[in-house]
Amino acid sequence: MNASLMEISKFERDTEQCMKCGFCSYVCPVYQEERIESGVARGKNELVKRLLSGELQMNRNLADRLYKCTSCMACTESCPAKAPIPRIIVAAKADIARNMGMRFPYGLAYRHLLPNRNLLGKFLRAGSYFQSSFMPKSNGIIRHLPSFMSGLSRGRQIPSIASKFLRQQAPEINKPRNGASPVMRIGYFTGCMNEFVLPHLGMKTIDFLVRHNVEVVMPRDQGCCGAAVFLGAGDFETGRRIADSNLLAFSGVDYIVTDCATCACTLREYQRFLPNTPERKEAYTDFASRVVHVSQFIADVLGLQASAFQTPAALKGKKLTWHDPCHLNRHLGAKEQPRRLLKSLADTKYIEMPSADRCCGMGGQFNLLNYELSQKIGEKKIESIEATDADIVVTACPGCQFQLLDGIVRQKKPQKVMSLMEVLG
Amino acid sequence: MLKPAIVRQLENIVGKDAVLTAKEDLATYSYDGTTTWSHSPEVVVLPTTTEQISKILKLANENRIPVTPRGSGTNISGGSVPVKGGIVVCTTRMNRVLNVNKANLTATVEPGVVLQDFNILLAKENLFYPPDPQSFLSCTIGGTVAENSGGPLCIKYGVTKQYVLGLEVVLPDGYVMTIGGSTVKNRTGYDLVPLFTGSEGTLGIITKITLRLIPKPAARRTIMAVFDDMTRAGAVVSEILAAGIVPAKIEFVDNFVIRRIEEKMRIGLPVDAKTMLLIDADGSVAAVESEAEQILELLAKGGATIARPAKDEAEATMYWKARSAGFAAIYGAARTVVAEDVTVPRDRLSEFIVKLDEISKKSGFEIVLIGHAGDGNIHPSVFTNSREKEDLDRLQDTLTAIFEAALELGGTLSGEHGIGLEKKRLLSKALDPMAISFMKRIKSVFDPNDIMNPDKIWERS
Repeated sequence: MNASLMEISKFERDTEQCMKCGFCSYVCPVYQEERIESGVARGKNELVKRLLSGELQMNRNLADRLYKCTSCMACTESCPAKAPIPRIIVAAKADIARNMGMRFPYGLAYRHLLPNRNLLGKFLRAGSYFQSSFMPKSNGIIRHLPSFMSGLSRGRQIPSIASKFLRQQAPEINKPRNGASPVMRIGYFTGCMNEFVLPHLGMKTIDFLVRHNVEVVMPRDQGCCGAAVFLGAGDFETGRRIADSNLLAFSGVDYIVTDCATCACTLREYQRFLPNTPERKEAYTDFASRVVHVSQFIADVLGLQASAFQTPAALKGKKLTWHDPCHLNRHLGAKEQPRRLLKSLADTKYIEMPSADRCCGMGGQFNLLNYELSQKIGEKKIESIEATDADIVVTACPGCQFQLLDGIVRQKKPQKVMSLMEVLG
Repeated sequence: MLKPAIVRQLENIVGKDAVLTAKEDLATYSYDGTTTWSHSPEVVVLPTTTEQISKILKLANENRIPVTPRGSGTNISGGSVPVKGGIVVCTTRMNRVLNVNKANLTATVEPGVVLQDFNILLAKENLFYPPDPQSFLSCTIGGTVAENSGGPLCIKYGVTKQYVLGLEVVLPDGYVMTIGGSTVKNRTGYDLVPLFTGSEGTLGIITKITLRLIPKPAARRTIMAVFDDMTRAGAVVSEILAAGIVPAKIEFVDNFVIRRIEEKMRIGLPVDAKTMLLIDADGSVAAVESEAEQILELLAKGGATIARPAKDEAEATMYWKARSAGFAAIYGAARTVVAEDVTVPRDRLSEFIVKLDEISKKSGFEIVLIGHAGDGNIHPSVFTNSREKEDLDRLQDTLTAIFEAALELGGTLSGEHGIGLEKKRLLSKALDPMAISFMKRIKSVFDPNDIMNPDKIWERS
């Protein structure tokens, strides 16, 4: 085996599953925009196969084409052989990163900041001062993230940094009130969005779970999930550091619950990409089996009925629609749970949007490298939302939320974007 | 190697972002849906107008550069593989439906429209375009015309050529020719439309297509039947037809394929069944009821161990989804898969199945069956994981044996996939030599410099 292709080689059998029927082209958001073969799973798989056979070399051209993937997994779902091309691409990114160095925008800052939550918090705090003094406020909560923080927002509309982070608001241990004995003990994985940007939503989730007699632990040592680090940039080594430290932070809980579809998916993916020893394989696999998204936790584990939810006053009489985050829908397989929860909200009307499960075009690193393409894919989603005439689009992924908000604001649409736990009350 | 000046001229015609020359891009236009053929072009162009294609062909013709037209590259004959390098003209960006005329029951489309997009659009208008190659999710309509594709529905509704009324084609010298029209009846001289339909991109590039449509049938009923004897299943198909019933589809799937699909899709197919038949009756509500009843009776009499209608639309859709995944499921089963496309007269189907079993035993290659039993196009697929030359040669011999068996029963070399590269070595055995001679002469009239999809259909001497 060629050592420089160590990670892709593990997926060699998967690359041979593609029989080139092209069914992936019908569902691939990238191909649907550009209609170029290297954009679609079938073409990317061919590139990987030729890389493995030595017909193609690892270079910038190859990397650019492989990176043009939102990881939405629609190709795999549509594929008769279920060939997991987006996962092959993650492995390819790791080999590319090791051999060619990290790609912009992945720099030292990311490598050192993201794994360390306290440090990142300080950085963001500094950023938020900068933001309010130098950046124009567009309206209320939306403005541009300061350029020094990312240098990447490129005009994208994103929410601002909270004045008080979640860890400064919520205690580490949250026990059911009135001395009730907890039905189980879960670890709450906050994710960067609820930690730094929307801490009030994190508070809401904790409160909701506590009210249903769940003991919620919010370990202070938890870090970033690592999505941008190992799934996005292919830095498996830092990914492993992040994984090990999160495993340690979450030992001794029944479940690891998170609001963020991407975080949930990423925590579960440690076992697929990162193990380099049998011990890690075992530990990551056990960890993955305990990770659930909050919608799965509420609907399946707690099995709450409609009576458990109180529609917030502001939502009464409103029409809701649901956007499936790819990480929740296809990666975690939770298609029906969030819909069941939304439909159980009294005094609201649920409307299914056309192609609710189509990728919004965000895709983490994808949108940073292909911003215009990402916007174009996003426009189709806004059309879907418009077709429902809904007041509120609900989703469960900060990435999707950024993208939907960005599209809605840019196109001056009236819809609000809310996260699932925000509407469950 | 293509001269840089040619690439610059192509860029002037279609724009820089529609010309691909990177090795990595060319690799992704080297294949089609077959596992055996692969060759990179020297440049790929993605035009958006007829005028651009005209200029591209003129340039290619003047410089004697081979041109391979390509849609989504889902064909399974090697037909869109650029074996001579040169230019791939990819029509995927010409994907507008130009009009749907409900009163004349026609539609005019650009070649890059994906068949499924077209079907969805028509369904909203209660219209129906029957040709249904199982690559419908990805294939372009231009490709289906060039290949004269068919699918399960052709037993009752016919193949693509029965629906193409008019074409706009760009000839190799750049001339844009209009043939046919938008009338169902059209008797004006030699009919050139069916000549281009099925010409596999060897005469010119199709840039506009006018198709005949029919109203969508009001009702449909799917019947699933299981047999523990393959030849029995084949015989029942003939019995249904002999009884004067022409269902919309009669599809045949063998045990290997059932298991393979079930493994991938987990939808509860009968994995122990030797053979599964899927039959669709369509038409008015009353006609469908009575036809389904008669079919169920014939199936029971014919020895089906299970024969029942799908309980609802969801179950029916599930069966057909499994069926359309069938080919792909076989292709994933081994490194080299060759899906034969031989077709036998419908009343010889069970004899053919016995012959195939003999050939499989003798050759040692597994031969699986999945296809259109209703029209005798049963797609025996032969595969191997071996990369040894000796085994691959033996595989070719086995394919020859299958073809000869079909011919003996009065069958044909290709029902719907076309000849392309995959079957050209057998063409001379399938056709009257004079017919091949005329084909070659027709080709040279349209394309004297042999730039259009060269080296396809027949072997160059």
